Amino acid sequence: MPPRRFQTIVVLASMLIAGLRYGAQTEGADFNVPPPPPLPTSIAPAPAEQTESQTEPLRTDIDFLIRSATPNFDSLAAPVSSDEEFVRRIYLDLAGTIPTSEQTKAFLKDGSPVKREALIDRLLGSPQHARRMQYVFDEMLMERRVGTDIPATDWQAWLRNSFRDNKPWNQLVTEILSADGADEKLRPAAKFYLDRKFDIDLVTRDIGRVFLGVDLECAQCHDHPNIDDYLQRHYYGLSAFLKRSYLFTDSKSKKKMLGEKAEGDVKFTSVFTSEEGQTDPRVLNLPGIPDPEPAKELYIAKPAGKVRGIPAYSRRMQFAKAMITEDNVDFRTNIVNRLWALMMGRGLVEPLDIRHSENAPSNPEVLKLLANEFLAHNYDIRWLIRELALTETYQRSSITSLNATQAAKAADAFARGLLKPISPEQLAWSSVVATEFTFVTMNAQEAALKKAEPEAAAVKIHDPLWREETLRKTLKSELDVVVARFAGQGGQKTSFEATADQALFLINGPNVQKWLQPQDGALTDRLQKLDSPTELAEELYVAVLSRPPTDDETTNVENYLQSISDRPTAIREMTWALLSSAEFRFNH
Amino acid sequence: MTDIPEDEAASGSQTGNHPAPPPLPENPIDATQTHVVAEFKHDIPLTTCRIDPTGTFVFAGAEDFHVYRWNVSGDDTSKTIFAGHQSWVRSLDFSRDGKLLFTAGYDHRIGVWNTADAAPKPINMIDAHKGWVRWVRVSPDGKLLASCGNDNLIKLWSIPDGTLQQEFVGHDRYPYAAVFHPNGKRLASFDLMGVIKDWDIETGKEVRSTEAKFMWGFDQKFRADMGGARDMRFSEDGKTLIIAGLTEVTNAFAGVHKPMLLLVDWKKFEHRHKWKDDAYKGMVWGVCEHPGGFLVASGAPQSGNKGMLWFLKPGEDKPFHSVQLSHCARGLDITPNKRQLAVPQFDGKLCVYQMTAPHKAV
Amino acid sequence: MQREFGCNHIDHEISRRSFVAGSATGAAAVGGLLTPAQAKTLKSGQKRILQIFLQGGVSQFESWDPKPGTKYGGPFRSIPTSVPGTHICELLPHTAKRMHLLSIVRSVDLKTNDHRIGRLRLEKGRMAGEFPYIGAVASKYLAPPNPPLPGYLHISTRGIEDNTNAFLNAQHAQLKLLGVNAPENLARPAGIDEEVAQRRNEFRRLANERFAGRGGQPAFTEAFDSSFEMARRLMKRKSLFEQEPSAKDVERYGSHPFGVRCILARELLNNGATCVKVTHHGYDTHAENFNFHLEQLDEFDKTFCMLLDDLHDSGMLESTLVNVYSEFGRTPKLNQRYGRDHWGASFSVAMGGCGIVPGAVVGSTNADGTEVAEREVGGGHLFHTYLQALGVDTSQDHDIPGRPVPIGDPSVAPIEELLA
Repeated sequence: MPPRRFQTIVVLASMLIAGLRYGAQTEGADFNVPPPPPLPTSIAPAPAEQTESQTEPLRTDIDFLIRSATPNFDSLAAPVSSDEEFVRRIYLDLAGTIPTSEQTKAFLKDGSPVKREALIDRLLGSPQHARRMQYVFDEMLMERRVGTDIPATDWQAWLRNSFRDNKPWNQLVTEILSADGADEKLRPAAKFYLDRKFDIDLVTRDIGRVFLGVDLECAQCHDHPNIDDYLQRHYYGLSAFLKRSYLFTDSKSKKKMLGEKAEGDVKFTSVFTSEEGQTDPRVLNLPGIPDPEPAKELYIAKPAGKVRGIPAYSRRMQFAKAMITEDNVDFRTNIVNRLWALMMGRGLVEPLDIRHSENAPSNPEVLKLLANEFLAHNYDIRWLIRELALTETYQRSSITSLNATQAAKAADAFARGLLKPISPEQLAWSSVVATEFTFVTMNAQEAALKKAEPEAAAVKIHDPLWREETLRKTLKSELDVVVARFAGQGGQKTSFEATADQALFLINGPNVQKWLQPQDGALTDRLQKLDSPTELAEELYVAVLSRPPTDDETTNVENYLQSISDRPTAIREMTWALLSSAEFRFNH
Repeated sequence: MTDIPEDEAASGSQTGNHPAPPPLPENPIDATQTHVVAEFKHDIPLTTCRIDPTGTFVFAGAEDFHVYRWNVSGDDTSKTIFAGHQSWVRSLDFSRDGKLLFTAGYDHRIGVWNTADAAPKPINMIDAHKGWVRWVRVSPDGKLLASCGNDNLIKLWSIPDGTLQQEFVGHDRYPYAAVFHPNGKRLASFDLMGVIKDWDIETGKEVRSTEAKFMWGFDQKFRADMGGARDMRFSEDGKTLIIAGLTEVTNAFAGVHKPMLLLVDWKKFEHRHKWKDDAYKGMVWGVCEHPGGFLVASGAPQSGNKGMLWFLKPGEDKPFHSVQLSHCARGLDITPNKRQLAVPQFDGKLCVYQMTAPHKAV
Repeated sequence: MQREFGCNHIDHEISRRSFVAGSATGAAAVGGLLTPAQAKTLKSGQKRILQIFLQGGVSQFESWDPKPGTKYGGPFRSIPTSVPGTHICELLPHTAKRMHLLSIVRSVDLKTNDHRIGRLRLEKGRMAGEFPYIGAVASKYLAPPNPPLPGYLHISTRGIEDNTNAFLNAQHAQLKLLGVNAPENLARPAGIDEEVAQRRNEFRRLANERFAGRGGQPAFTEAFDSSFEMARRLMKRKSLFEQEPSAKDVERYGSHPFGVRCILARELLNNGATCVKVTHHGYDTHAENFNFHLEQLDEFDKTFCMLLDDLHDSGMLESTLVNVYSEFGRTPKLNQRYGRDHWGASFSVAMGGCGIVPGAVVGSTNADGTEVAEREVGGGHLFHTYLQALGVDTSQDHDIPGRPVPIGDPSVAPIEELLA
């Protein structure tokens, strides 16, 4: 049951929010975009007549806490995003690509007051969302590590299915930390261990960073020299869960898996002070977990050359339990911070894996609230993402007329939408959606299916899952090239790096040229068939930038068409220009 | 670890001042009963060891640049220092009569010493190679000394005056070891890249060349070559060249590889048998042939201190016996009576093992 | 020694002329950051850095701080150098002959044994935190306003991507060149000539202008813009990557990857690069430390000296800081694999050229090399030293609006005795 929160202040908050929102509507007219639509009821203030037993949805409390943390918040705050801003943003965040022309137009035309919430729900239930989360968590957990023991496709399918089933975070992590690779069904989850070659130091450090948001690297050799909170025993407490485990190669299948011994303790010596320490397995400052009295038989299977050791009491099997226990606030704080960063463009704690008292969250109340509510909702990721997507904070425009200093302040206060560099996968998929190369691809696939399975085809081609998986499979190797080019250092991050070789890829690379070819179904082909320059401009901008062009832009398009005798060439060049523009490169 | 029977341990290092035990009838050779009979201690890691042809002394190089001499019997555990090199000595050999000791130094020099001197001083220090001298061996007739070094050369020197007789040019990378064939007419050498060469002593010409590339690894990540022989010997009948080293280098810089012995059919000049221990990450550091029809090899692990003695029948994949050492081996030698083995170790210990059943306590 | 330029002489003259013109304004622009004495020198020409990064951690015992005959000294001997009284390891015979051009710091303690942290501390000059690398700082304060090449070029085949520019504009970020290969996609596709490229780029520029006008995050959009600008400049310099090194250069430098990379490094420096970093991989010798150092340093020694000679003979060394470094050194104690492990507590770096007192040895380690005996320095000291030698006043704040961040770590100072 959700805990009671600050009901007494909620009414006040709602009033403030309502005030802001109406103000925002008029402000929107200052910008070169259509004014925002009427308020969707889903993010409207809660009814005032709520009773003690009812609580506000999380989104309301978030918005209240964000507002109240900054004096003069209203003077910094950007208005609610326009529908054009919103539709592109929410597709990128939830479905991992920009919307198609049709999707954009449909949303802009939709007069429903709850269309934003409806779209959010539709996207959260789509196969594209599971794919998007697969990408996000693959990067977060494996950090673009190239591993060989678990095929990437198995691991990705496992992740995707987990998100399709909305597997709670505590369960997902339990499966990862308990996986030994021997159980075929859960073998993909063992990638976290096995494709780090079960290097204890690497695994320990990454568990600290990825699951707890603390980077204990220095604490391996000594208490952290600069961060008082990070102690050597923290590091060794985590590694004690794993120290008895070892990499085992099954003699038959030749597969790597984890075996475990029944004995062995973790001792450590500081390289600075030479002090010695010893620790039971423990998660940071939680109590240690001593071994039980040893059973008569130490082993279920005693380790030997061809025998994978299975102890009667497994320390590694305690790891997941210790990690997901309600006492472990760090565990949920880490993930809510990461999900916040995913949606909002910046973590409440930055960098995402260096949380300690000297690097406190920018808004501790929000972080605490998210962590508590995430627990109360049983680690439900989809629920949390939905709540975040429904906040005012998320839905604010990224457009501001403030000066640079004030604009930076607004960004720090989450008073405006932040630019989010689109991930390599988002960039790759958005590029083929924008150029409608996806249609070229799907046309061919549908034709092939109709030929191969004439009867089943009629139904199958309308199956969203078939469509999604077919498209991804067909384009995978081509788009992997794009991903590799734009993927820098692995790991979830919110910073932005643009390099000359990436620009060269866009300027001269063969992939982009290919997508711009006017093949049947491609955007450039469709545009060529339009006679009216105005209509052409409209279709071009909606397809690539998910918004209609401004009047100036329409004029620019007309001029461009006039100045170049070969129309297909002109179309290709303008499409390239928008595809290579900053507006395309960011989620805004 | 092998337990040291009390009576024999008494003659070892722990209680060196005990009176020698009364002579007992010798037990027959039984490798499966191999046990420690003496242990000498030094405080610096050892680099190699050899037993002189009379079976009196065991010599070991150490990382303090010196060579040390002990009595094999262990009756007297005191050591004699051979000081003169300015770097490590990784290879030793003796004149046929055992009176001279030759030492190959990483200080580019070959040392010549009187084996039995009470206060040894070098008789001669030969500036032998540009770079390390990695190996020395005396010819079967006792007249020549072969050396190889980091100038990629193999050189022959006359004994005892130490004048240069011959240079063998042909290895592109460091030759790690060079040994005379028992017939005294040929010399075999083995380099970093696993190249085996057969040289004519008389003409100084390369006769044959073949490869054992699997005893070399190129680490793509670190762009480095790892390989070479850690020990090399001919069988007494001259039919087999036995090369000790490594194989399957997966991570050169972490030293991840497997120990390997290669037996080369000298006549056909082709690989007769490859032995490796798949369950053991590490290196073979020494190998000896026993007339009883088996090989003994010593090894060091990549990590941990479980040094190893393997007892193998040539051609078989599994050792018929093995003995765990107290630390990493750095070489191996066998006494002339073929009853005892000496193993120098990384922890500074030099252990003597006997390949018989221990005598019962008296 | 006769210097051989591999490239066209006319090209050279042109680039020299434009480069002198560019640097005069450059000096004026950064004048506020310079020490007065150095401002004058800088006006006469651009200054630059050559960094040779011995990745993995070269052993100080087997290079700059030999301890032959001591407990952990290993098997190599030391040799005299062209500086009386200074000995280095016998593995560096060519360098020994040029020691009068270089100086050694033998007392570096980074307080870490971690590859990444060690590298970050040296590159950023800070114990922790997000700060720009030396190369990025050099690009910002030493490169002329419109540099002919990206300011910070790194020739390497692998390595972790870092945020090398931190809060500096992304145009100062390291551009990694994969070996001597030209960056991919340097050639225009068929059908797109200069005119087409310009007009479609103009359309793109209009779109970007509008987007920037909506009050976004300038750091992001400027970084994106500058990546295109750099791409354009690289395309103009395509020929630099295409010319085969001359046979004579290959003979002198070596045909191995490090050799040809150093030839490219020289060409980049000759053509107006501000910071060129060449990584020589393969020093993380946890096993066979001695055999591997034989191989690696044999490659390094000769090649490095050829590059040093060319810089010296052309007079470039006076305005080029040369820096040879690793993320840490190696343990005194030898492990059982004849390896040395990670050791950040007492190791050495070498430097020379622009603004550095030549032939000096700063600091020392104790007899066994297990700790610093005198003049302990960390990454911060070295960072100040390199940049002050180049005329950047590292005690000033960065030239970033609203960001009062000192260029160098304010808690430490440069190694004054090394500053010429």
